[in-house]
Amino acid sequence: METTFTSRLGHYWDVYKKFVSTSVSVETSFRTSFILLIFMDLFFFFSSVGSVSFIYDHVVQIGPWQKNELLFFLTFMLMIDNLHMMIFSQSFWEFSFNIRTGQLDYVILKPMNTIFSVFFRHFRASSLFNTPLFLGYLIYYGIQVGLSPFDWLMVPFFVALSLALLVVVEFILSTSMFWLTDGVGINFLRMQMQQLARWPNFIYQGAIRKFLTVFIPILLIGSGPVHFLLDKSAWQLLATMVVALFAFTGILLFIWKIGLRRYDSASS
Amino acid sequence: MRNMTTALIKTHNLRKQFISYKKSPGIMGSFTSFFKRNPVTKDAVKGFDLEVKKGEIVGLLGPNGAGKTTLMKMFTGIIVPTDGELKILGSNPWERDKNFRKRIALVMGQKSQLWWDIPAMDSFLLLQKYYEVPQAAFEARIEKMSELLGVKDLLHIHVRKLSLGERMKMELMASLLHNPEVIFLDEPTIGLDLVAQENIRNFIKEYHRENDCCIIITSHYMQDVQALCDRLVLIFDGEKGYDGPLDNFEDILGSEKSVSFSFKNAPQKDHPLLSGYDASWNEEGTSVELRVPEEELCSLSAKILNALEVDDFATEKLPIERVMKELMNNPEILRQKREAQANV
Repeated sequence: METTFTSRLGHYWDVYKKFVSTSVSVETSFRTSFILLIFMDLFFFFSSVGSVSFIYDHVVQIGPWQKNELLFFLTFMLMIDNLHMMIFSQSFWEFSFNIRTGQLDYVILKPMNTIFSVFFRHFRASSLFNTPLFLGYLIYYGIQVGLSPFDWLMVPFFVALSLALLVVVEFILSTSMFWLTDGVGINFLRMQMQQLARWPNFIYQGAIRKFLTVFIPILLIGSGPVHFLLDKSAWQLLATMVVALFAFTGILLFIWKIGLRRYDSASS
Repeated sequence: MRNMTTALIKTHNLRKQFISYKKSPGIMGSFTSFFKRNPVTKDAVKGFDLEVKKGEIVGLLGPNGAGKTTLMKMFTGIIVPTDGELKILGSNPWERDKNFRKRIALVMGQKSQLWWDIPAMDSFLLLQKYYEVPQAAFEARIEKMSELLGVKDLLHIHVRKLSLGERMKMELMASLLHNPEVIFLDEPTIGLDLVAQENIRNFIKEYHRENDCCIIITSHYMQDVQALCDRLVLIFDGEKGYDGPLDNFEDILGSEKSVSFSFKNAPQKDHPLLSGYDASWNEEGTSVELRVPEEELCSLSAKILNALEVDDFATEKLPIERVMKELMNNPEILRQKREAQANV
């Protein structure tokens, strides 16, 4: 059984390596666009960090956090964003296009899990160039908030966990494209969700906070791990995040199956 | 009666309905249909029965919108049937079992599975990983197929730089790399010039001869069907109209022959001997092709030869194009034939 699982994992890894190499091959064919994307990511990064710094020029504290704590949270979220851009973002847009044009036909035919074939297909190599910078800032602000060696060990795990929850929620939203066909609205909704998740949960109050924690649990994404890293007694959000990840993965698998059955293709 | 145990494709009472929405033109129409949908249900496939054995090449013919592509998509598991039974290689295609997907292939003349911005070889390497094709087999198949199709020098050219014919050849290679047992070819020669069409037909014939696979092909070009298929399945408005050997296809219009006459001088087109036989004239009016019942063939030919100045004449079975054209103009012929068979 172990061998079968390992060989399956090996198969997926082999295919993923080819996804990466073909994506790099495509992206580097268009050099100007490749460089522009690197600068666009950099602009986004510095404008996000700059905005928070600017706010802290006028206030000492937002909620329970001072400047370094909020910037640690922000760089944690920007790290997730960088990985998201690199591994998934292009596939979300392609998915909508493929449903509308019927190009999804060939993706469905491939002998692999369709969620993998659809959402891991496109890799954005340009984002990889900025990863060291994003990582550097995360480490810098991690030092500023005084992370312990144990915390540092947990950081990569928490980044992966947060990314997983973010994309599972986005996969679920994207599944609705099987019914809606046109995915532009869904893709903008997804981006708005990411935007909301870039701020810590205490920014939001009342029903909105509850809704974005329980029903569409995007506020758990950064807030769960960072609250725990800064204060070990604040583990509840992190635990909720793990539960949410399992629950939403189950929901995804269920509705994805229904969505695939709903797929009508497009006429030739 | 076909052998049920060796049927690789088996359908019974297969149905597919699509729901779309009617929309009136203009802005008002857009607003009206935004708030109040006017759904239209279309029966794309109605109670379709089919059995195809290993090694068969079956031509699936029908006019645009008859349901050919819908059938192909159900056979491959891309779309789910509304009702009925469907087994391909013993599996329900829409369950999309991994092993099932490894044993079939689909080529669509109007869609591409190759990546536009990279050479075809890069796409082939990805497909090798998808289908877990061993390196030696992969190299041998690439070598063989590229040789047969004459595209050896094009494997490392970006797909977007290839001509339509070259791209189609690459599409075929991409679909056959994993050595599928059942191949669905949906208009593989559409839009290609005559030479490219023939190359592709020869390649399919050769591939079939070597691999003894089962092939279902749809095409609007009768040459494809005549060159490749022994068996023809006709679909009209989602229903099967004919299923049998290609040789007997013209019998669908009764036992008629095609007779053509060339005249020294153009006769009157409404000449009593020439009317009533679905006459098809050339532009100059000096040559005519008639559809004549077999039992009248000798007497009518003799009368025409005596009465008119005939330069040349020939008789043959009705060409498949002629039969198809007649059926497309008068699809009720098939309905009448089915009803007559049911009464018998």
